[in-house]
Amino acid sequence: MMVVDVIFYAFAAVTTLAAIGVVSSRNQVHSVLFLILTFFSTAALFVLLEAEFLAALLVMVYMGAVAVLFLFVVMMLDMDVSDLKAQAINHLPLGLAVGAVILLELVVVLSHSHAHVAAASTVPNTLAIGRTLYTQYLYPFELASLILLVALIGAVVLTLRERKKVMRRQVISQQIARTRSEAVELVQRKPGEGA
Amino acid sequence: MLENYFPILLLLAVALATAVVMMAGSFLVGPKRNYAEKVAQYECGFAPLSRVRLPFDVRFYLLSILFVVFDIEAAFLFPWAVAFKDIGLTGLVEMLLFLMVLLVGYAYIWKKGALEWE
Repeated sequence: MMVVDVIFYAFAAVTTLAAIGVVSSRNQVHSVLFLILTFFSTAALFVLLEAEFLAALLVMVYMGAVAVLFLFVVMMLDMDVSDLKAQAINHLPLGLAVGAVILLELVVVLSHSHAHVAAASTVPNTLAIGRTLYTQYLYPFELASLILLVALIGAVVLTLRERKKVMRRQVISQQIARTRSEAVELVQRKPGEGA
Repeated sequence: MLENYFPILLLLAVALATAVVMMAGSFLVGPKRNYAEKVAQYECGFAPLSRVRLPFDVRFYLLSILFVVFDIEAAFLFPWAVAFKDIGLTGLVEMLLFLMVLLVGYAYIWKKGALEWE
């Protein structure tokens, strides 16, 4: 199992370094690219745990779709980082609080760790998920479709602008039907008064 | 089980090595004589008028978020298809229900014209 350990530590190191890159790089586009690298190496870690479906999900959904979404958002906002830097100190307490909670959770989980995750199951990961998700967790699964529906409608409501269709076509009958009274207006102005 | 992934690891290593060798090669061997015009953004011969990072149209964002939703929908189909023989007819009905709900959403965005570019 030596080789697997080496591979694990290599991918774990890449994950950590890329995650540091996400929060420390000055260019936001670079941040997103580091995020994609983090997703990818996490997917590799999932493969090492024999959780293939989760790995595929990370590559498909997170790298394929969410990262692209992030890129669009970053490019769409095009914000000035120097403004945010000045305000960063205001958000420090909140950030520290969230970080402390996550750290606490990690400590709790790791101290009760089951040392080895149940990887040595005989059925493939995807099959096991399929068997439980569509029987035992049927209700949450159907709820997920509603959540996705809400996401769809929300995205459309928030971002879709109705565009007035501008017709620039010439309508000859309208042009011919114009009369003098609706096309010309005579205005009496005294000299020197201007418009 | 993990042995099956060895070719992918190999491919990864080769791809990484190729990229590193090419970039390092051009960095080490290539002449570097930079001047202001050369390192400026490329703008078809005239001096750059704006910055590189133009704000995107919000419609890209909409398309992208719609893609995320349908991507997740497709992701749900994989374990379903793999376990189809075990969950049988109930599974089929469940999945049809799931797809029907999203079909409503699909009809909604289609009718709203969110899929049209202009």
